[in-house]
Amino acid sequence: MNAFLANLDTLLLYVFAFCALVGAVLVVVLRQPMRVAMALISTMVFLGGIYGLLGVHFIAAFQVLIYVGAVMVFMVYTIMLLDVRDPAIKGRFSRLLVPGVIGGAIFLAALVHAVNALLGRSAATAASFTLQDFSVAFLNEYWLHFELTSVLLLAAVVAALAVIKGSSRHGGETGADRRG
Amino acid sequence: MNALKLIVLLPLVGFLVNGLIGNRLGKRAVSIIGCGLPLISFAITVALFIQLGASGQPRIEAAYTWAAFGTTTFDIAFYFDRLSAVMTLIVTGVGTLIHIYSIGYMKDDDSYARFFAYLNMFLFFMLMLVLGRSLLVMFVGWEGVGLASYLLIGFWFQDPVNAKAGKKAFITNRVGDAGFLLGIFLLYHALGTLEMDRINAAFLAGPVAVSASLVGICLFIGATGKSAQIPLHVWLPDAMAGPTPVSALIHAATMVTAGVYMIARLNGIYLNAPAASQLVAAIGVATAFFAATIAIAQTDIKKVLAYSTISQLGFMFVALGVGAYGVAVFHLMTHAFFKACLFLGAGSVIHALSGEQDIRKMGGLRKRIPITYWTFLVATAAIAGIPPLAGFWSKDEILWFAFASGSGGSFLVFGIAALTALLTAFYMFRLFWLVFLGPSRMDPDVEHHVHESPITMTGVLVVLAGLSAVGGFISIPHFLEPLLPLPAVQPALKSFQMPLVALSVALGLLGLAGAWYFYGGPAGRTKAIKARFGGLYRLLAGKYFIDEAYEFFLGRPLHWISDHVFLRIGDRALFDGTLHGLAGLARGSAGVLSRVQTGNLHLYALLVLIGSFLCLVWSWAHG
Amino acid sequence: MAARREPIAVDKVQLLLSLAVAMFALGLVGVIVRRNVLVMLMCMELMLNGVNLSLVTFAQQLGSTVGAVLVFLIFVVATAEIAIAIPIVLLLVRRKRTLDLDAYSDLKG
Repeated sequence: MNAFLANLDTLLLYVFAFCALVGAVLVVVLRQPMRVAMALISTMVFLGGIYGLLGVHFIAAFQVLIYVGAVMVFMVYTIMLLDVRDPAIKGRFSRLLVPGVIGGAIFLAALVHAVNALLGRSAATAASFTLQDFSVAFLNEYWLHFELTSVLLLAAVVAALAVIKGSSRHGGETGADRRG
Repeated sequence: MNALKLIVLLPLVGFLVNGLIGNRLGKRAVSIIGCGLPLISFAITVALFIQLGASGQPRIEAAYTWAAFGTTTFDIAFYFDRLSAVMTLIVTGVGTLIHIYSIGYMKDDDSYARFFAYLNMFLFFMLMLVLGRSLLVMFVGWEGVGLASYLLIGFWFQDPVNAKAGKKAFITNRVGDAGFLLGIFLLYHALGTLEMDRINAAFLAGPVAVSASLVGICLFIGATGKSAQIPLHVWLPDAMAGPTPVSALIHAATMVTAGVYMIARLNGIYLNAPAASQLVAAIGVATAFFAATIAIAQTDIKKVLAYSTISQLGFMFVALGVGAYGVAVFHLMTHAFFKACLFLGAGSVIHALSGEQDIRKMGGLRKRIPITYWTFLVATAAIAGIPPLAGFWSKDEILWFAFASGSGGSFLVFGIAALTALLTAFYMFRLFWLVFLGPSRMDPDVEHHVHESPITMTGVLVVLAGLSAVGGFISIPHFLEPLLPLPAVQPALKSFQMPLVALSVALGLLGLAGAWYFYGGPAGRTKAIKARFGGLYRLLAGKYFIDEAYEFFLGRPLHWISDHVFLRIGDRALFDGTLHGLAGLARGSAGVLSRVQTGNLHLYALLVLIGSFLCLVWSWAHG
Repeated sequence: MAARREPIAVDKVQLLLSLAVAMFALGLVGVIVRRNVLVMLMCMELMLNGVNLSLVTFAQQLGSTVGAVLVFLIFVVATAEIAIAIPIVLLLVRRKRTLDLDAYSDLKG
């Protein structure tokens, strides 16, 4: 029991990692888009857990808030808007299934090998950082990036409005109007 | 210290001004600039000439270093000694007179400014030619006068015949220039310098690394082209398509004498090259005789004079070939006087007859254009060798040295030259009779408008006739003796000098008598001769069909090669084929490669995967 | 706030990085093999997450704040991207009347 509690961090890390991986595989494999969205959400949540276990709680908070709370919600909304049981789709997978999988496997092998080789060389373990370090850095050295993100978000808002305005001029028929 | 540069550059200024803004200046300003600048050059030349007479030292002016690599330099420098002085005086003096003549002759022409610009450009290059110190500067002038000649022969280029004549002149000259260039290369290779005074000194000092005869022959080939000797004489009669002042200035007085000047200048080479000198004399005398025979049968007033020029140039080369360089220059000067007078007189006749050039349609002009008549008579007598006019003195010297010179004179050369002198007198007086005397054979409407030329034209004619009359008393050979020594006369023949003078006079008078007999009398006499020697007459009138022979043996094969080898195989198959092939290759490969662009995002993503994998591998391979 | 933590051990780093590259590779494969446009978008989000994970791992290991800043910027960019991508997909679907990617081959050739 003590051993269990002593290594709880590591154990939980392994569990979360495994679950995240399972979720990722499900994203690629599941048929219906809504289920795919759910799998992705679960992956993201487990990833948030991993961040928490690593000690960067603020990033974990951002992960759940922004990714799950904004991005995936928008995604789910869109899936529900568009007709998911689109009869025009001929199956899940494209024509490049086999080359894709083979290529992906090779690529994955190469990357894993690269990662291991990399770790073999760098043995450095320096000090880690805290939220305080992060916010100080963000507002001192990286203040420009900070400001630019505001600009980027503004641009995104304007673009989205433009798309809406433009589309509403052409008449507002969307996929949701079709009922199969 | 800039006098020589001024002499050369003033005509250039005239060329630029008249050429660029001449059309806007008006004919008066163009005439003043066009004639005034050469006149100033002439004045400066006279001043320098007097100075030269006083000091005796040649004057050298360095103008510009054209190229320098290592220790060798190619300089543009001007050189003024007795020989250059004589040539420059002739070029600027006679040149200015002909410019003044052109004011009247070209009065009604639309391209008045262009004419004077080209004339000034010609003077610039000719002065570079005669004043240049090195063969390089001379060659620039050589080519430049060729260009000016081409532009002026084809001055009325709207008529394709004129343009063709200009082309023929230029191309024939270029053939000769190949030989000239070879000579220059040989000299530079052997001596390391192109400056003519140094070349002469080197050859006179002792044996040189290159055969003097070889160099002499190569340079002479260039002279054959420029001075219209066999076999490159064919351009000169066609060059008569240009305006008459051009024929007078370029194709009688100055440009065609460039070959003579060149050989006289490089006498150091020719004194040591007996083979080359013999060739020069042989070709000179052959050309003289050959051209004289053709001139007998010609019916265009300018063509007669053209062949006469070729013949007289042959005489000059005879003098050069037997070592009498000063005498050749002497004949060059007297020839400039009387030939220019003859050509300008012919121009006056053509002007009076509103463009008629066929001597069969002239006659009876004695009373109607008297000044032209009298000046033409004086010049004709000069060329025929009637004493005491200029032509007699120079031609007699040539005949004497052709006979008696210790370096190449022979009875054969003398004999042919004497026969040619007879023919010269004959055909010149024939021309004179047919143009001016006897009953009028003119077209009636031409006859109505016959008028004497304006003072700008007749004044020049009078001056030139005067020079033809008294020019012989300026003893040029004597003047040039320190520079161009006269050859030693064979002692055994010394006694023949006076009899030979008598013979020359006799030949001239005999020619006059012959022309009087045939052309002064009833027309039947010439018709009888023509009927008896019909074949010979056709041969002479057809100029021995040399142009036709060149066309057949050279022109047609070249044309065939151009068409079949260069055009069809080289240009179309090789070049176009290669380019089309390359384009086809590009098109084909583009067609194949464009199949990547399927528009399918899955494929693009797969390619991204493959690409990043390859990048990973590459970064491994290179550490 | 949290106290200073020890830097993570080497095998944990290995695990996390392997997970990160696995997510990245899976996301890329998903883009290649799935037909549905929306699913493709979600696979791209998966790729971004993988990258985020690796960044965080390295930042924690090396103690540099740059990694964390980058992660934050990736969040922002991903949000902006989705905000635009979805409307584009909506317009595309309206035109083509299907979510099948093969129908969107107008840029062929």
